[in-house]
Parts: sequence; structure tokens; C-alpha cells
Amino acid sequence: MKPAPTLSTAFLYPAGQSLPEPLLALRKQRGTALVDMPLPTRKTENWKYSSKYLKLTDDMAISLPAEGKTGSSLAVPGYKVAFLNGVMMPEACEYPDLDGISIQSFSDLSDEEASDLADRLDSTLDNKAVQMARLNSARFEDGLLIRLKPDAVLDQPLFIVHEVTAEASGSAFPRIFVDAGRHSQITLVEEYISSGSAQVMVNTVTEFNVAEGANITSIRLNMEGENVQHIGSTGVLQQRSSRFESHTVGFGGPLRRHDLQVRLEGEGAECKLNGVVVTQGKQHYDNHTTIEHVAAHCNSEETYRNIAADQSHAVFNGRIHIHQDAQKSNADMNNKNLLLSNGAEIDTKPELEIYADDVKCAHGATIGQLDEISLFYLVSRGIGRREANVLLTMAFINELVEQIPVEAVRETVQGRLNHFFEQTFQEA
Amino acid sequence: MLSIKNLHASVEGKEILKGINLEIKAGEVHAIMGPNGSGKSTLSQVLAGNEAFEVTEGEITLNGENLLELETEERAREGIFLAFQYPVEIPGVSNLQFLRTSVNAMRQHKGQDEMNAAEFMKLAKEISKQVDLDPAFLKRGVNEGFSGGEKKRNEIMQALLLQPKLAILDETDSGLDIDALKVVSDGVNALRAEDRAILMVTHYQRLLNHIVPDYVHVLAGGKIIKSGGRELALELEERGYGWLGLKDEETADSSATSSAN
Ligand SMILES: Nc1ncnc2c1ncn2[C@@H]1O[C@H](COP(=O)(O)OP(=O)(O)O)[C@@H](O)[C@H]1O
Ligand SMILES: [Mg+2]
Repeated sequence: MKPAPTLSTAFLYPAGQSLPEPLLALRKQRGTALVDMPLPTRKTENWKYSSKYLKLTDDMAISLPAEGKTGSSLAVPGYKVAFLNGVMMPEACEYPDLDGISIQSFSDLSDEEASDLADRLDSTLDNKAVQMARLNSARFEDGLLIRLKPDAVLDQPLFIVHEVTAEASGSAFPRIFVDAGRHSQITLVEEYISSGSAQVMVNTVTEFNVAEGANITSIRLNMEGENVQHIGSTGVLQQRSSRFESHTVGFGGPLRRHDLQVRLEGEGAECKLNGVVVTQGKQHYDNHTTIEHVAAHCNSEETYRNIAADQSHAVFNGRIHIHQDAQKSNADMNNKNLLLSNGAEIDTKPELEIYADDVKCAHGATIGQLDEISLFYLVSRGIGRREANVLLTMAFINELVEQIPVEAVRETVQGRLNHFFEQTFQEA
Repeated sequence: MLSIKNLHASVEGKEILKGINLEIKAGEVHAIMGPNGSGKSTLSQVLAGNEAFEVTEGEITLNGENLLELETEERAREGIFLAFQYPVEIPGVSNLQFLRTSVNAMRQHKGQDEMNAAEFMKLAKEISKQVDLDPAFLKRGVNEGFSGGEKKRNEIMQALLLQPKLAILDETDSGLDIDALKVVSDGVNALRAEDRAILMVTHYQRLLNHIVPDYVHVLAGGKIIKSGGRELALELEERGYGWLGLKDEETADSSATSSAN
């Protein structure tokens, strides 16, 4: 079946019956707005390199059933929330029992809470720029609401595992909303994994509403299989003096897309966005980030690295928009890319829009290959070619991997990287 | 140990080495001197197996084995070590990781057990003291942000760790102050051994006051135009390269470019 130029009506599939009424009403309203929604094509600016990888067939329209067991690759002690095909699995969760922190599934919300949430869903995202996120709002079956009261501090990372079980074709729509009160703190890890081999789509939306002085660390690990098309959107709204730190690590797939939108709305807010992408075979990965400097005296620092092997294709698009009143903004964006084969492709595009006059804004993007002189130096010390390649490739992303503040995540990432190196570099 | 016969080598189609002949026996120290651009680094890089240089004629054997058939890493494992004129900076790979990977690759080749992190750390600290490098450097990226002198000492440290059969030192003396020159030459002298040969490439003869060579060769225009004992170095110092019929400006540091590594 050919992908239609507009979203097939099959995708306006009614379900989500376990949701409280206000959220059902929201879904319905969002669904109605999706009738005849144009799908991204080559001519759609923010999808021009990636639309050819998007293949939505009608058999992928149905929601995957929330049945079975979940298993994370992060076998760690700590707080856990498990989702299967977008629905929370309470028996696999370990919640913190701390004052001021509430972690709930959307289905468990009272009508009053759900009504409050319905008013706020989508508020952190610019839906024009993340058109595919609208599908999530029309289709989420469940979701995770994390609320932190002022000054609440989560003492350990919260691991959120989103597993999709692809026994048959279908879709899943994981959804997270984090409401971080003033001066609260949390580190959370979103891990996306899959089992089964049918063609499926995972369409996620994660939102952070970050109040004054709050400090959020968000880690996102994309490790789904070769049968999973993943479209993820993350929205962040930051108030005065808040801090948001993000580490995304993604391994390629048939389609991988992540949009990260950060809006610095209060003075003195700062964000740090790190990203690592590794693709091989015929895989794809596309990171689109937007940082909106709305208020004055905000800092943003962004570092993304892509490594593309074989015939794979990685895309980075980094937009920085400094609004007229955002004087004394400090924005630094850096994207470096490593091509490990002549057949691989990397597209990188910085987009700067600056409307304030007293700002510092630096950006740089490079695309290169492994350095022959460095390789020669290593092998001249008896180090094998394969190992020398691995050392240099690892060196390219080491700095970012080392900054991931959770050891279990670093280990998981290293394990996946080792696997990538084994497949990519052969002994001479 | 090392035998070079009628070696011709080119880079980017341009012939640099035009028929080098050289025999080095175990236990000997040879110095190759010559003006900038005469091909000293090219010879060093060709010996180490840099594929940017194409050997068009001639042969090189190490203890009878055809070196030209071996990959760079195989040559290293057979005991060839090149101290680079311009050691390479590799941010993101720590010195410790680099040195340990190298030592273990060599050990594996010899059928020895790999050294674990703790054992290696102890050894590395000892040797770093020998070349007067603060062990804190082990944690930094390979040669990252090192001064010229630190880079050269790191090269000597590697030679001491790897204990090669043939150590080729390409201008290891350049850019060193008096103290660093002393540290480096003490390191090189510590390498001198019955079963090891050392080939020192240098532009100046001052290193040869500290490390006394058995033989001195003058390389010019891609050929060895004169060989002799250590007195040849002293004569070169006194009379310059001009005495050998070379234009004096060829000996100047400035114009010639050296991009061999
Ligand atoms: N990679 C290279 N590409 C082009 N020319 C080179 C390269 N390396 C060396 N050369 C040339 O080869 C000649 C000899 O250089 P080199 O071996 O570095 O001399 P030396 O070490 O004696 O100063 C010089 O003319 C130099 O410009
Ligand atoms: Mg040289």
C-alpha cells in the first residue's frame, strides 16, 4: 500500500476508552482536526530529508494491544515506570514514596485532575513545527503524569521504559507530562525499546513544564528495532532561573525522528542539550531541535554528534530563535558529524533567527571522516586497525557519553556502541 | 638488523627518496642528518609503513624479513618504533587508554597475557617519571594540549614502554630546551642495548653531544651523500652543509616545508 498524501482516515481510530472523560474529549477534538491532515513530503521544509522514510500503511493504524510483559535493558535498582504499547503496566512499576511527588497514569486521574491536564497538554509544543505530534494527541491510550510540588526532589533517577510489542502491525502513542514545581528536581530516563518484528509506528510526546528555579535532567534512549518507525516530540517550557539538561542517544532505524523544542520564557533560564546519533546499514535518524530565547539573560548550549556508517542517513537541524526582548542571550550550538563510509549521508543545518541586538550566539557544524594521520599514529604503536577505528570513533562521542549522569545508561549505551563497532569495523 | 637497498619513494607522484642504501646492525646507533626537505621524515615514515608514501623501487628487510609486505601495525609488533617529528593529538582517547591498548596489542602478539588496568597504571607511572612527565598527563587526551617538549617526551615514554628492536627518532630533539633535551637523551641512552638499534634523525648535531652515535650519514636530495663516524657530525657543525656542495639556504629552517606526518 502506498502512503497517502493525507493522513489515512484509518488512523483516526477510536480507542482510549479507559481514559477519564475530559481526556477522551480532548482526544476527540484533536482527532477531528486531523481529518485530511497533509503528511510530510519532500517539499515540507522540516521533513525534506526524512519524508521518504515515513511509510504509514493502513495496517499500522490500529493501536497495539497492551498485553504481555515488559523488560528493560536497564536492569537497575531505582524508581521505575513501565509502559507497554503506550499503556502503563502498574505491576512492573516501582514508585517513590516521597512527599510532594506524584506519579500517575492518565487512566487513574480524577475527572478534575484530567480536566486540568487536558487544558495543558500540547502547551509546550509548537504544533505547526511538530505536525506528527498531533497524531499522538488524537490517539494516546494512556499516559504518565508526573507532578513535583515546590522544592520536591527525587533522590534517584526515574526510569521510564516504553516498550512496543510488534507481534502484529499497529501503533503506540506513549505520552508523558511532567509538571515540575518551583525549585523541584528530577532526573528521568525515557528508554524506548521493542520486541517482535511486525511493521509498527511509535509516536511519542513528552512535555516538561518547568517552574521557576526547577532543575530537570532528561535522558532519552532510542533503541527500538529495525521494524519500528519512531516519531518523537519533546516540548520544554522554562520559567525564570530554571535549568533543563537533556541527553539523547539514538540508534538508527527505518525512520527515526525526534523534535526537541525548548522555550526559555523566564529570565535567567538555561538549557543544555546533548545528542548522540549512530546509524548503520540503511538506517535513518533525524534530530530537529528548536531553542526559543524569549526572555532576556538566558543561556543555551547545544552539542550534537552524528556518526553514520554504511549507507545510512543522519540529519541534524538546529534552530535558535532569539526574540526581540531576549537581550543578553547566550546561545552556543555545535554539531559535528562523522561519516564512516562513502555511501553514508549526513545533512546538517543550523538555523539562526536573531531579533535582539545584544546577544552572543555561536554555531558550528562540520562533517568529516576518521583522520588518517591519527589512525596511522595508533597503528604505528601496534594497535590493530579495527581497534584503532573504534578508538577514534569512540573519541568522537566520548565527551558526550561521559556526560550522561546515570551510570546504568552509560553502560547500556556502551554495550550498544560495541555492537555497532563489531558490525561496522572489520579486522584488516 | 635493518637493511635498506636502493630505496625509492614518492608522495603524490613526486619522487622524494632516490636510492637510499643503509645497513644497521643490532646494538648500533646511527644518525641521519640533512637539511630541511631532504627526505629524512619521508624515510622515517616509509620505514614505519605510512601508506601516503609509495615505495617505487628497492627493498627493506628487518632481520631478513621483507618489511614492505607488512602492515604498519605488523611492523610495530615486529619491533619497529617511530618517534614522530610531529606527534598527533587525539582528543577523546586518553593517554592511558592509548598506551595500554598499545602495550597489550604487543603483548598479545608475543603470546603474553594482557596487563590489567592496575598493573599498567603502576608501570606507566614509573616510566612517566623517567621522562619527567607528571602522571596526571595519563588522564588527558593523547598529546592533547601538550607543549612541544611534552609531546617529544611522550614519544620517548612510548619507546621505553614498548622496548622496540629498532627505534627511529625523527627530530626528537627539535623544540626542546636544555633540560628537556637532557631528559630525552637520558631516555634514549636508556634504550641503548646490545639487541636494539637506534636511528636518530636530526637537523642539528647538538643531540649528538648527549647521544653519541656510532655512524653518521648525510641525507640530501633523497640520497645519502656521505657517511662516517661521529666526527662527521662535528665537521658538519663547524662547516655547515655547504661544505658538502649543498647550498647554504637549503640548510635554513625557514622555507622548506615538512608535512611528512
Ligand atoms: N605528504 C606530503 N605531500 C607532499 N609532499 C611531501 C609530503 N611529505 C613530504 N613532502 C615533501 O617531501 C620532501 C621531503 O620532506 P621531508 O621528508 O619531510 O624532509 P625532512 O624531514 O628532511 O625535512 C619535501 O620537499 C616535502 O615538501
Ligand atoms: Mg622532517
